[in-house]
Amino acid sequence: MLRNVFLALVALVIAVGGGTMSAWYAVNRFDGFGALAIGQWTGHPDAGTPLSDPYAKARAAREGAFPLGSAEGLAFYAYDDDKGAALDRRCTYSLSGNSPNSRFWTLYAADRALLPLDPGSGRLPALHSRQILRGEHGTFVVTVSPHAQPENWLATSGSGRMTLVMTLYDTPVGSNSGLVDMTFPAVTRISCDG
Amino acid sequence: MGKLLRTLLFGLIGAGIIHISVVLLVPHYSDRNAWSRISAYGNDWQFHTVTGETKPGTARLAFDPLFQAAACRFDITDLPAHITGVGTLPYWSISVYNRQGENIYSINDRTAIADQLDLVVATPLQMIELNKSKPLSAENSVLIEADMDEGFVVIRSFVPDESWSEQVASFLKNANCSPLL
Repeated sequence: MLRNVFLALVALVIAVGGGTMSAWYAVNRFDGFGALAIGQWTGHPDAGTPLSDPYAKARAAREGAFPLGSAEGLAFYAYDDDKGAALDRRCTYSLSGNSPNSRFWTLYAADRALLPLDPGSGRLPALHSRQILRGEHGTFVVTVSPHAQPENWLATSGSGRMTLVMTLYDTPVGSNSGLVDMTFPAVTRISCDG
Repeated sequence: MGKLLRTLLFGLIGAGIIHISVVLLVPHYSDRNAWSRISAYGNDWQFHTVTGETKPGTARLAFDPLFQAAACRFDITDLPAHITGVGTLPYWSISVYNRQGENIYSINDRTAIADQLDLVVATPLQMIELNKSKPLSAENSVLIEADMDEGFVVIRSFVPDESWSEQVASFLKNANCSPLL
């Protein structure tokens, strides 16, 4: 008798504990299905639309964000460099290559919750495609570093993990026409402090 | 042994049921969704500047640092919403969201008529009326049919550098959000 009560309690604890923990994890950490991954960059074309899956909807309801519409743009996030190591704010990275078709794009460094980092006074918080210097074939190199760099420099500061956010505005990338040239700059680590 | 396995199985099934119900219920019970953020800015039928900082307890808003935005919430049960704005900017875009914060329609300056911000959000029933006789004030408006009652719009505008900041701010400040009579 007592054994049965005990077993029922165990089942309840597993159900309530496991259910809430996994739901909490899914809502706070999981971005939802349907990600578009190109190189180290991932985007969520369906995020914030009525077509998004329940996990993405739950997460959006907790964040209270206003996701970009399909005619507005699409944000892509890079969490790791090309070796698979997490991006660190104390390291210097080079982003080289080209960007997919869009009217313009912006690039900034953010924390894990995607909030833009404050690079310190007098430094630009973000770069955009109309101000950067390009090579002869339209390619560009952006150096993400806590130290001043020549040419295109995206300043970072502090320590801990970071996420690079590249938002393409007025872009056909989210539509699946298959006619879009999907090239994203590669994120390569150059050096690290300390 | 069999009993222990059965207990584990029941526990896991229960965990699955709770997991699914929590995930499905979060959007209905969340008090920190986009709608409560917009409501905290102020009155409806009025544009408010979107800021990253909010009152404690709500998540900070992840927002492109090179953009400024303004939001207006409305209720189109009785009258359609008319959103207008005048100005020449490098880029602007506008999104219509329903009460759940889902993006249901968006346009940018290139897809708008003559680069002007002028749109009407109407319910399907109001749309029939609008198609029969369009008010003079909404002659060149982009008409958006939305099957909803409460909703909001967010205008975003690109600030390439500080020199544009003032012009963009005045565009957002002078944007108008009012019932279409």
